[in-house]
Order: sequence, then C-alpha cells, then structure tokens
Amino acid sequence: MTVYICEDSLDGILCGVYDAWMSRKGHAQVKLQLDGWFEQELFTEYLTVPREMEKAEKVVKSIRQKISEEAYEKVYVASLSQDPDRADKIYRFLIYGFHFGKKVVDMLQIPAVFQLFQMCRNVYNENHLLIEFIRFSQITDRNLMFSRIAPKNRVLSLLAPHFSDRFPGERWMIYDENRQEAAVYLPGRGWAILQPDPAMRREIDNWQTDSREYEDLWKIFHGTIAIKERFNPKCQRNHLPLRFRGYMTEFQ
Amino acid sequence: MLIQQNLSLQEKLRILTDAAKYDVACTSSGVARKGKAGMVGNTAEAGICHSFSADGRCISLLKILFTNQCIYDCKYCINRSSNDTLRTAFTPDEVCRLTMEFYRRNYIEGLFLSSGILHNANYTMEQIYQTVYSLRTEHRFNGYIHIKAIPGADEELIERIGFLSDRMSVNLELPTTQGLKNLAPGKTRDKILRPMRQIQRGIFRQQKLLEELSGERKRLDGRGRAGFTGGASLFRPDKVSPSLLEGADSGKTFPDQGFYAPSFLGREQRFVPAGQSTQMIVGATPENDYQMMKVTEALYQSYGLKRVFFSAFVRVNEDSSLPALPGGPPLLREHRLYQADWLLRFYGFQADELLTEDKPDFNVFLDPKCDWALRHLELFPVEVNRAEYQTLLRVPGIGVKSAGRILAARRNGALDFATLKKLGVVLKRAVYFITCSGRMEQGTRLDQDFITSCLIGDERRKNWDISHQDSYRQLSLFHDMKLEAEPTGEDKVAAVFGDM
Repeated sequence: MTVYICEDSLDGILCGVYDAWMSRKGHAQVKLQLDGWFEQELFTEYLTVPREMEKAEKVVKSIRQKISEEAYEKVYVASLSQDPDRADKIYRFLIYGFHFGKKVVDMLQIPAVFQLFQMCRNVYNENHLLIEFIRFSQITDRNLMFSRIAPKNRVLSLLAPHFSDRFPGERWMIYDENRQEAAVYLPGRGWAILQPDPAMRREIDNWQTDSREYEDLWKIFHGTIAIKERFNPKCQRNHLPLRFRGYMTEFQ
Repeated sequence: MLIQQNLSLQEKLRILTDAAKYDVACTSSGVARKGKAGMVGNTAEAGICHSFSADGRCISLLKILFTNQCIYDCKYCINRSSNDTLRTAFTPDEVCRLTMEFYRRNYIEGLFLSSGILHNANYTMEQIYQTVYSLRTEHRFNGYIHIKAIPGADEELIERIGFLSDRMSVNLELPTTQGLKNLAPGKTRDKILRPMRQIQRGIFRQQKLLEELSGERKRLDGRGRAGFTGGASLFRPDKVSPSLLEGADSGKTFPDQGFYAPSFLGREQRFVPAGQSTQMIVGATPENDYQMMKVTEALYQSYGLKRVFFSAFVRVNEDSSLPALPGGPPLLREHRLYQADWLLRFYGFQADELLTEDKPDFNVFLDPKCDWALRHLELFPVEVNRAEYQTLLRVPGIGVKSAGRILAARRNGALDFATLKKLGVVLKRAVYFITCSGRMEQGTRLDQDFITSCLIGDERRKNWDISHQDSYRQLSLFHDMKLEAEPTGEDKVAAVFGDM
C-alpha cells in the first residue's frame, strides 16, 4: 500500500490523484490522505505530494473533457467538505468517472459515487443554512459589514458569490473562525479569500459594532412575531440548529 | 379606539408586528432575480428563510402591518374595530428604513406589507403604494416585496402596485360565503375574488405581451406562475382548466392598448412575477376538509394561484360566534391540509381522490397519501425499476426528489431496497407498496390491516408530538402507539374475577 499525502486544497488533492494514478500501482494499492489527518500504519509507504499547478490543471482538464462540467463542480464542492477522507473519496469517484464518463453522476448505486454525492449534499446544505443565518453587523468607523461564522465545511467560497450578487454596493467581510479565513468584498473589485495574520486576527477580535438600534429592533421583531399558542421550540430547533445561534443577532 | 401618535419606532414595530403575526404567508419564493449594479438585493427562486421564531415558523420577510387601525369588524381578527387596543401607523419612510437596514444585515429577504383599512381601501392602498414606490426608486431595493391587495381598492392602484412588487395576495379567509357572512360582516366573497381575478388577468396578459415583444414562441398555456407550474401540470395537462388557458377571460376582450409597466421601471418589468397567494382560516367555521380542499383546488385551477395557505384558528377575541378550542389551535388539521395541498400541486392528485362527501375529513392517524394508498391497494405493489414517474409519485414514501433520482439512477442498472434508501426514499412507508426487480421486502404483506397497523405506530407518535408540543411521554416497550382496541366491558369483568 502506498499512501499519497496531499495538501488540503482542491489543487493539492488533484495533484495526489495525478501521482497516484500515474504511479500505475493499481487502484487497490494506492490511497490518498490529507496532510495532518492520519495515523501512520505498518507496511505502508508514505509519499508527500508537492503541489504543482501543472498536474492539477491536467486533471481538471480531463475531468471537464472526459466526464463533465457537473462532475468537476461536484469534485470541487467535495474538496470543501469536512470529511477527513475526502481526498480518497474523490479519487475513488474519479476512477468510476473516467470509466463511465458523463453519466456517472447519476449512478448512485455505486458506493464511491454515492459517497461523493453525500459529501456534496452536506456542503451544500450547510452553505444554504449559512446563506440564511449569516448576520452582518456594522463595524464602527470602518464602513464595513462584518459577519463571523464557524462552519463545519469550508463554505466561504460558496457563500461569497451569493453575497456579492446581493450586496454589490457594500464593503463586507465574512470571517470563518474555524479555519481563520475571511471572504472580503469590495465594491467594484469583487471578492477574495484571505488568510489574516495573527496581528490582523487580534484586530478583528477587537472590532466594535455600532448601531445597536437596528439590532434591538430586530430582536423586538423576532420576539413578537411568534404566536404563543403555537409555541414549538422543537420545530424551531430542527430548522435552526443551536450551533448557529451563538452567531446570530436575535439570540445574543 | 385608542390612537397614539408619538410612539417610538420600537413601540410601533412591536404593535404592528404583533398585529401582523397571524398572517401565514412568509415565503420569498417564485422569482429568481440577479443583483443589479447600483441596487441592493436579489431574490432566489426557492426563497430563503432567515430565521425561525419560537413557534417554529420561518421568518423570511419583514412581516408588518402598515397600520392596525381598521374600519372592519371581522370577528376572528385581532385588529377588529371594536377591539380596545393601541392603534398606530408607520410612515412610508419608517417602513423603508426598517426594510433596508434589516436587509443589509441579512436579517430578512424582503418586505411583506399588509394593513388594516384606514378610512377606506383606496387611501390605505395609496399609502402602501407610496411605501413600495420609494423603496424601489429612492432606496434602490431589489429584494422581495409581498403586498396584500386590499379588496375594494381601485383596479388602477392594484395594477401600479403589481408592477412594483413580487407577489400579491388577497386573503379569502373563509372558504364559504356563509362563513364569511357570519364572521366578517364587512366583506363579501365577490369583493375578495375581484382583485384576485384582476391580478390573474394582469399576469396572463403581461406574459402574452412580453412573449410577443421578445418574439419568444414558448407554448402559451396560461400556467405561467400558477401553482402547478413545474409540478403536477407537467404530467397532468388536464389539471389546467380552460379558464386558466384563456386567462380567465372567457368571452371578454382586453382593451389591447398597453399593459406595460410605468416607464420609470422599464417595459420589461414584470407584473407580480412570483404569482399570487391566499390564505384560509382552519377551524373558525364548521366547514369540513372536503370543502376546504375543493375550494383550494378551484383556486389553483381557475384562479391560477401559486399557493394557498392555511392558518389554524387562534382565538384572539372573545365572541360568541367563534368556536371555543379547548385543545388549542387545530394544528393537526392544518398539517393534514398542507400535506394534501402538496399532493394537489406536485403529485397530480385531485381533491375528489383524497376525500369524498361521505368521508369529508382527513384521517387523523394517517397522512393523506398513505390513506389514499391503503384504500387503493389494487394499484400496488409498484415495480420501482419500471414504473412511470407519476406512478412512482403515488407511492407513500417516494417524493418529487426521490422519484427524480430513481428515474436517473435506474437507467444505469437495477435498484434494490438498500439503494432506494440512499436515494432518499422513506422505506419505512414505501416498503409496503413497492417491489424491486419483482420482489417485495421480506416480511411484508399486501394486506390492509397489516400495513395500517405498521404505519399507524409511527404516525401516531408524530401526531402526538404535534398536538403535545414541548412535553414528554412515557415510552412503552410493548405496542408503543400501535393500533389497539380499548378493553371491552367483558375484558374488565374477566380481569376482576381472574378468569383470563
């Protein structure tokens, strides 16, 4: 068994796919793992895969040509997943993908395809919940709308297009606490994902929000709109899991 | 009537939210609109919920009344003119500010503005128009706007508002003329249906004009923005009644000069792009479920509505003509009506299939689809690997999404029970009604009593949760919530004397 250790990004994983495939050791003999996510086993060779854009681009090109754009999107979304085995699952999916071509995305009977489908569903679901539950607050003296989230999956790059379409005239920033990444948007310049350095992170933690006025109004609205004869916290919890509430204005 | 002028914005918001909360519709669906440079907002086809209140209902729109002053005295309504409550009104500017500031913090998807009737219908509608006009033009708001059309307002006003909003609704409130007469003395059915018809015609005419304008040669079948679009009408064209095809204009001709948006909006601006909806109160009047479903079906078929909402009656006023509801609002009945509503819109069912004059109410133990399937066991089992889409949809436990996935997946090989589970089929219910490659799951029988008792256990537990919210129940190891007969008198006697 040879384990290819790749960097935790789409490019990193695809480089791993390239190396594992081109080693011609046979699919059963190779495995992909993410850096820092595994325990060493006996009788296994570990190879670290350097990130080379050329290799990743080659794999991307063949996925788009030999499978489909849809499959490429699925692979990208799966690479954002919280699943520790995502690299290997993507590899297993691609084995079937290159064999069956375009129709592979519908073949949920195949466990490898189903696993990819599950990962994507999980990422999309969390992304959708965050589109709903993200709360911006205005940062004092900065003309910036700021939001803090703690998602399980790495969804910033899926959230950013939605909010740049929605608020084309605002300067906003969404900060992912778990990965210490931020999506930043400037009007006219589009969005980008940044990794703030420790000094910047400390500054972010100290930012003060102003205009309590609308936050209070929103809390009043949220409290008043409930019909007490229909009180049903279980239903509320199903739709709005507790883990989001710490970051939402109306529950603070 | 106590009218207070100098309230703070907080107080106003509290009063006018409280007065608006019994309106059910809080959806932001039906129209996909991209963001525009220089404007704020976009809309999503499926709608986006932004929060959930303590009663578990979604908060998608800023749902407020413009004013809670009202000239009508509808007995079920918290804002009836004879109620001694604090009355107030927003100014258009306040509503705009609230909407914009909430929207940019991602609290809401847009505005849902309704109102009590101040002075008269036209005056109120004019205030609402000013609000949405300034929201769309001065504040450059591009998000979702849902406006309640007030029966009795001028057609021209409704038309102008229609071009500025995404969805409009007129509340039918009570399904029969008699009910309306008893509880809402100021309203008549005819008065309510008139703006509904007007909006329907507007949507239809504009669709026609736009299609001519853009030279599109799409099949024009009048389903545009109706509740069946993309749902049941795809495989049941017969559900689209002739009146829907003609834009409810049988015989009459339109004055054909322009049905266009005002020039500041641009000619392409659509009229009520997300369609119209309505709501009915459940349990305030003695109508049965069959009547409710027939009215609902008629509204979809001949008025081209997008949604019909149901609202379990909450007794907010003391009035002798209102029913006392000791068990709280009829939530289970509301739930069943919504289940049936989905069957109408997406599953190709008809009201007459679900209920009849003799059996006018839904089964409390079973959901309408299971109930229907159990009464039609001759149509089952269905072979998953071969059945058509519409046949699959009729199987309890298979929904629109899973039926679609089945169609896609079975092209590449036969499906078995384990795969079905992965595709999202609720096997707990479906297993009694399907075969995979000719085989039923082991241990199941196509027998009405057997299936009923299996299904009812689950369903009862769920119903118990709906009607006893937020409380707990002693679990039983034996026959937990299974269908069981009460012990008869003889059984009791036998138990006392020990001859078991």
